[in-house]
Amino acid sequence: MGKRYAMVIDLRKCVGCHACQVACKSENNVPLGVNRSWVEELETGKFPNVSRHRLPRLCNHCENPSCLNVCPVKATYQLEDGTVLVDYDRCIGCKYCIAACPYDARFINPERNTAEKCTYCHERVEAGMQPACVNTCITGARVFGDRNDPNSEVFKLLATQSVAVSKPETNNRPQTYYIGADEKALRPNLLEIVGGEK
Amino acid sequence: MPTVHFFDTPHEIYWGLLIALYFYYTGMSAGSFILTSLGTVFGIEKYKKVSKVGVLMAIVLLAFAPLHLLFDLAQPGRFYNLFLHVSLTSAMSWGVYLLILYPVDLMIYAWYLFRQDFVQGLNKGGFKAGLYSFLLFGKKDMSAAALANDKKKAKLFGTLGVPLALLVHGYTGFILGNVQARAIWHTPLMPIIFLMSAMVSGTGLFIIVMMLVEKFKFGRIGEDIRALIADIANLMKWFIVVDGALMIIYFIVLWYSSETGYAAGYFLLHQEGWSFLGLENGLGMLAPFLILLSKKARQSLPLVTLASILTIIGVLAMRINLVIGGQKIPLTGSKIIEYAVSGRDLSIGLGIGILALVVLTWLYSVLPMNRPGAQEKESIPVSKGVAQ
Repeated sequence: MGKRYAMVIDLRKCVGCHACQVACKSENNVPLGVNRSWVEELETGKFPNVSRHRLPRLCNHCENPSCLNVCPVKATYQLEDGTVLVDYDRCIGCKYCIAACPYDARFINPERNTAEKCTYCHERVEAGMQPACVNTCITGARVFGDRNDPNSEVFKLLATQSVAVSKPETNNRPQTYYIGADEKALRPNLLEIVGGEK
Repeated sequence: MPTVHFFDTPHEIYWGLLIALYFYYTGMSAGSFILTSLGTVFGIEKYKKVSKVGVLMAIVLLAFAPLHLLFDLAQPGRFYNLFLHVSLTSAMSWGVYLLILYPVDLMIYAWYLFRQDFVQGLNKGGFKAGLYSFLLFGKKDMSAAALANDKKKAKLFGTLGVPLALLVHGYTGFILGNVQARAIWHTPLMPIIFLMSAMVSGTGLFIIVMMLVEKFKFGRIGEDIRALIADIANLMKWFIVVDGALMIIYFIVLWYSSETGYAAGYFLLHQEGWSFLGLENGLGMLAPFLILLSKKARQSLPLVTLASILTIIGVLAMRINLVIGGQKIPLTGSKIIEYAVSGRDLSIGLGIGILALVVLTWLYSVLPMNRPGAQEKESIPVSKGVAQ
């Protein structure tokens, strides 16, 4: 089997410092107001029975990406190793990919005026380095590597830990695996958001 | 379980008013064309009176519709990439070719409908004669064989136009329907709902346009046209019945689908209630249906006009509720995403609307709108000073 990049995020180690979000912005010159990677935080329960949950989000570099299928000009493409990228010179900015991504991973870069999202820091990975968010993670919660390589940390974690992905029902087959994720963090509580649950 | 989201990233709605208007325009183009093709294509004699009015309206609406898309692009200068790179998995890419084939077919169809009148109009002199002479491309043959050929070709291109009209609007239903991330959009009914509501709004707008054309071109709305309007109003009633039935089916299944679907249904009934129940389905569908139930009302021009205006408003509300409402429900995070139309989008939408109206009015005023049962008066008062 060929190389297939994936990310495992061990939420038991995540402290919610947002260093990954900052490193990503800095590494990729992401303008204000938009994010390639961010951390959602929520608190559940009532004192004294409470818990706090974090969910770092980024592009899931899905096996079957909705964004890629809907792009009318094939500006979004996928490498052999699974990385989903956008050809910034071809993108016409129709925003169909943004509407179709179930994870809100995409946005229009207000300076470049094209669709944009996490690239797994492609140029860093090509140069043998880790993505900026993984590199900066203070607790080592973010692990990036080849899912198909039995010697990789990602392979070991996927083999030995219980993992969950966000919205598995969409047939996108996302490649960000969370260890210890709380169900309430993986998807928005829509019923409560629309006012149907008190 | 009490849950507080205290860190979230804001997301915005990227497909706004312009996209809803694009769907609205293509819908009315397809709807008005299919309705007025009943004469030429399906041989229903009385509809031949209105095929010219309908085809011009369909062409103009369709010509202006894609401008909304162009102005919505973040990189409008790169629109040509749509022609250079075909992507069969993207409904948007299917549309590129339909948006060319459909108006071209309609223009050829219209040419065969108008040719005979262009030749007859050559003796008028002045600007019109010049225009007709140019549009004829030298094909001035008025022999019986040539006229029969006009009829045959009009039928051929009109017949081709019907599936193209269904596709050019049906594909927009796939644009939304293919998006599995959003429960409001993701239903196989979407292309059919789009088509049926297009028939409703296309018919509504067509009735109003036809009355204006009759009034200004022939001075009065004759008995034959009044009878035809009552017929079309009756058809519109049935279009509303089918469209309404589809909306009810859509909503019931949405309600019993996934958690996302149920939440979307709840959202439509509550937060979007005034727009979804009130504007779209109450004022825009139920009210015109109730008006058109009565035979007397269908024979009354003011009431038919009122019903038509209501359907036009209702279907616009439907496009906005679906396109924008579908994106208000968040995919991540914890908040409804609010939408406020930007001044830029609003001005562009209004600008395109006014421009389309001006062009359509101009076409109706300079082109020969002779129809079975009514010939244009010899000297038409034209304010622009183009008459001889």
